Amino acid sequence: MDNSFLHSKRLLLVDDEQELLKMVTDILKDAGFETVLTAASVKEAVIVAKQEKPDLMILDVMLPDGDGFSLMEQLRTFTDVPVIFLTAKDEAADKLAGLGLGADDYISKPFMPQELLLRIYAVLRRTYKEDSPLVILDGCTIDFSRAEVNKGGEVISLTAKEHTLLETLARNEGKIVTLDALCEALWGDNPFGYENSLNAHVRRIREKIEVDPSKPVSLITIKGLGYKLITRK
Amino acid sequence: MKSFGTYISKHLASFAAFLLILVLINVILFGATFYHTVSEDYGEASPRAMLEMASTAATTEGLTDDAVQKLRQYNIWAMYLTPSGECFWTLDVPEEVPQNYNVQDVALFSKGYLEDYPVFVWNTDEGLLILGYPKDSYMKITSNYYSIEAIQKIPFYVMGMLGMDALCLFLAYYFSKRRIIQNTEPIVEAIETLANGKPASLHIDGELSEIAGSVNKASQIISRQNEARANWISGVSHDIRTPLSMIMGYAGRIAANEATTDKVREQAEIVRKQSVKIKELVQDLNLVSQLEYEMQPLHKEQIRLSKLIRSYVAELLNSGISDAYTIEIDIAPEAENAMLECDARLISRAINNLVQNSIKHNPQGCKILLSLKYTEETLTLTVADNGVGLTPEKLQELAEKPHYMESTDERLDLRHGLGLLLVRQIVEAHDGSMKIDSVPMQGYKVTLSFSTLLKRGKNNVSFHSK
Repeated sequence: MDNSFLHSKRLLLVDDEQELLKMVTDILKDAGFETVLTAASVKEAVIVAKQEKPDLMILDVMLPDGDGFSLMEQLRTFTDVPVIFLTAKDEAADKLAGLGLGADDYISKPFMPQELLLRIYAVLRRTYKEDSPLVILDGCTIDFSRAEVNKGGEVISLTAKEHTLLETLARNEGKIVTLDALCEALWGDNPFGYENSLNAHVRRIREKIEVDPSKPVSLITIKGLGYKLITRK
Repeated sequence: MKSFGTYISKHLASFAAFLLILVLINVILFGATFYHTVSEDYGEASPRAMLEMASTAATTEGLTDDAVQKLRQYNIWAMYLTPSGECFWTLDVPEEVPQNYNVQDVALFSKGYLEDYPVFVWNTDEGLLILGYPKDSYMKITSNYYSIEAIQKIPFYVMGMLGMDALCLFLAYYFSKRRIIQNTEPIVEAIETLANGKPASLHIDGELSEIAGSVNKASQIISRQNEARANWISGVSHDIRTPLSMIMGYAGRIAANEATTDKVREQAEIVRKQSVKIKELVQDLNLVSQLEYEMQPLHKEQIRLSKLIRSYVAELLNSGISDAYTIEIDIAPEAENAMLECDARLISRAINNLVQNSIKHNPQGCKILLSLKYTEETLTLTVADNGVGLTPEKLQELAEKPHYMESTDERLDLRHGLGLLLVRQIVEAHDGSMKIDSVPMQGYKVTLSFSTLLKRGKNNVSFHSK
């Protein structure tokens, strides 16, 4: 997937370990990020966040003058940008889930550089959607802003449910989205026994987007698990 | 607990036996004390023997010399009355004793005393022989009669009395045993809990409250030690994480750096892979110790395991695993909507450890099947592969040998890692069971079973007694 449109986003990294800051900065810069700001304490982080207005903040939970959770609360008073927690404790994950602080993700140390990058991209993509709402598939183009499919010049409109379904799959393009996640996206929590309805929607979408609906190449069934959408690079 | 009951029974039984022995000793002592008197009362000097001897020796004329001698030996006086109450003869009769009697006199003294001398009479053809014993030598019962009814009742009375005594003894035994067990049961249970290394709290009023205090104190010590150990492990694993992040990060960067030689990149890749192993170990170690000492609060919720399995497998496939492995899932229709109260994070972790085990032990690739079944209120989750499997010896070793985390034997093989131990602990924390099957060269299968029925919480063991 092309993430390069995200590389102009400004990242703020907060950790008291200077060497870790340096390493993560290197990893992020190597990956293509243009601006990586750093801070080593709660105080510094608040000042940098106010002055530089980053687009994503990565916070350590343990800081010399306070913890990441209270830092986040302070930051939330003036900014809504996404936050990823970096934690060295397993329990911190529970605390994050329990407190419902509204963090966008957490990564527990030790982490693989690749994992960190993937999560940063995922959060950024969720928050800052690409301006062009066009998704190009093998044989057609989907325009989500107009809820339309353009298949070889023929324009077919999508229903609301089909739009939601395709958008959920497109957001995770190339990845399996489980039946449960799709049902939840379509019908909300506890969607028991909606699998048949889901199948029906998938069938109708295939008729609209696939060149040969009986041999799908874009909307693929992963047996027993869910579906995935293959886009053309 | 059962052994304790037997212990009490034995002691109470020996107490009853002791009571019996005591009664026996009393009887023997009684016999020893009164043997002499009894033999005298019924021996040669007894009134009956004397009367028999004197009556044969007596004529209307007098007594034989032998008889006179014998009577005098025991200070006995004698007289022989004619049928009309006159004396044939007398022998040493005290002065105050009259010499002739009418019918009323005879009727009175024959049962009792003559002028305070206990007298005994013997009827002969000629008359009445009377022997007088010294004053205060015998006590005569002047009114000894019992109704036949009363005499007939005696055997029943004795039997009934003995029966009732036995019953009372048994009831006393039964109730005291029950009461002792009632009072000591919580203590024994608490001690058993302590013996398993788990903290227990005991609340008892009364005489045994001191024991409860000691048990609670021991429990506190165990808790404190467990806590200290868990904190120590958690502290170490915490402090390792940041440096390990940097090792992994830089090793990864070097391994991906096109500017360095292939050899350096290969070596960096080895460092990276090994540090991933340390990472897994550190994460497992902390969780294992938290579960072991029950420091980890379980966040149990009603979860559809089917959903959890799908989302785990989707994530695994999305993270990109080698094409050598195929992962399939098979969820039975009836298991689709079955709910289990569990900690989703821990169950995912257990599934992941099992899948990673299959991947680790089959570097050549294998097929991994996750299946879920639901029968008789039991959810059965199976992780199976068709890889190299285990030899029966290895399988047995895995089932029987304690893990080194739980063993004090220093010679144990330390190469196992913590994966399976963690799975077992997670399963135990959910009151489930785990089974491992394997056929060499055909595959390896781990089956986890959980009951969906609500169960009493096993944590926070507490015992009460009144």
